[in-house]
Amino acid sequence: MTDRQDKVNWVDALLDDVSGAAPADPSGDLMARVLADAEAAMPAPGGAPVREGLLRQVLAGLGGWLSVGGLVAATAVGFAVGLGALSTVGLDALWQGEYGAYYDDTLGFSVNGWDFEEG
Amino acid sequence: MTMPLDAHATDEPDEAALLARYARGDAAAARALTLRLTPRAYAQAMRLLGDRAEAEDVAQDAMMRLWKIAPDWRAGEAKVTTWLYRVVANLCTDRLRRRPRGPLALDEVAEPTDPAPGAEERLQAEARRAALAAALATLPERQRMAVMLRHFEGATNPEIAERLGVSVEAVESLTARGKRALAAALKGQAAALGYEG
Repeated sequence: MTDRQDKVNWVDALLDDVSGAAPADPSGDLMARVLADAEAAMPAPGGAPVREGLLRQVLAGLGGWLSVGGLVAATAVGFAVGLGALSTVGLDALWQGEYGAYYDDTLGFSVNGWDFEEG
Repeated sequence: MTMPLDAHATDEPDEAALLARYARGDAAAARALTLRLTPRAYAQAMRLLGDRAEAEDVAQDAMMRLWKIAPDWRAGEAKVTTWLYRVVANLCTDRLRRRPRGPLALDEVAEPTDPAPGAEERLQAEARRAALAAALATLPERQRMAVMLRHFEGATNPEIAERLGVSVEAVESLTARGKRALAAALKGQAAALGYEG
């Protein structure tokens, strides 16, 4: 028998001895605490299904169908207001550089720290 | 003494089914899981930590993690008992690695205050348990799990392979390397633990 096997053999004996010890029983207090935790963390009856569908999870995150309806309405109103603004100012305002001029004159490149990076 | 990982009557619902019922707010499932799993978690923690208060903290913490993961539990991907076993092992390992002292030798353990026969044997048993637990904490997780499942739970290599999601050959390798690493971690302690001349 090799020296390496000897070393492992006494470890086997140690594992057997430790695993052969009688298992410890939990106290009633621990059982009561675990059960109290379980009841406190438990979803409401009929609540969370184990795996929800993606659409249901997204809707739940947004606040349900009612909230989604409000979101759609608000988006439609915003779109209509936007169209009205364009008809007043004209589509050309979008690419005539007015916003760019405001950005360069008022804020400058330093607003994002690019001047430091570019030296 | 070993305890089968899934020891319960076959006509009772398995842990995954109980956990799904718990996630739907079934208080009876909460009680059944508590009664079935808490003693195992506590016994496993006691075997590694040897301290009732710490073992209770670990068992409660592990069970709390189970309650919290219940709504997201993916049935069929893992056994609840194996998941819990791994959580308890990792929580105990974290605590063992934070302990300031290394493995205990028999002559380092406090003198027994109990004069009754058997006190010395209990002291020896505690020294062995503590030394083994400290050595197990030095192993990589999969080696530690393979050794513990094999020797503490009496699991066969195919059972360990299924629970760890590896091949049987890999389990044999993990167990062999784990025991060699234990021998290295316990080097010089055989005599003090009563395994030499």
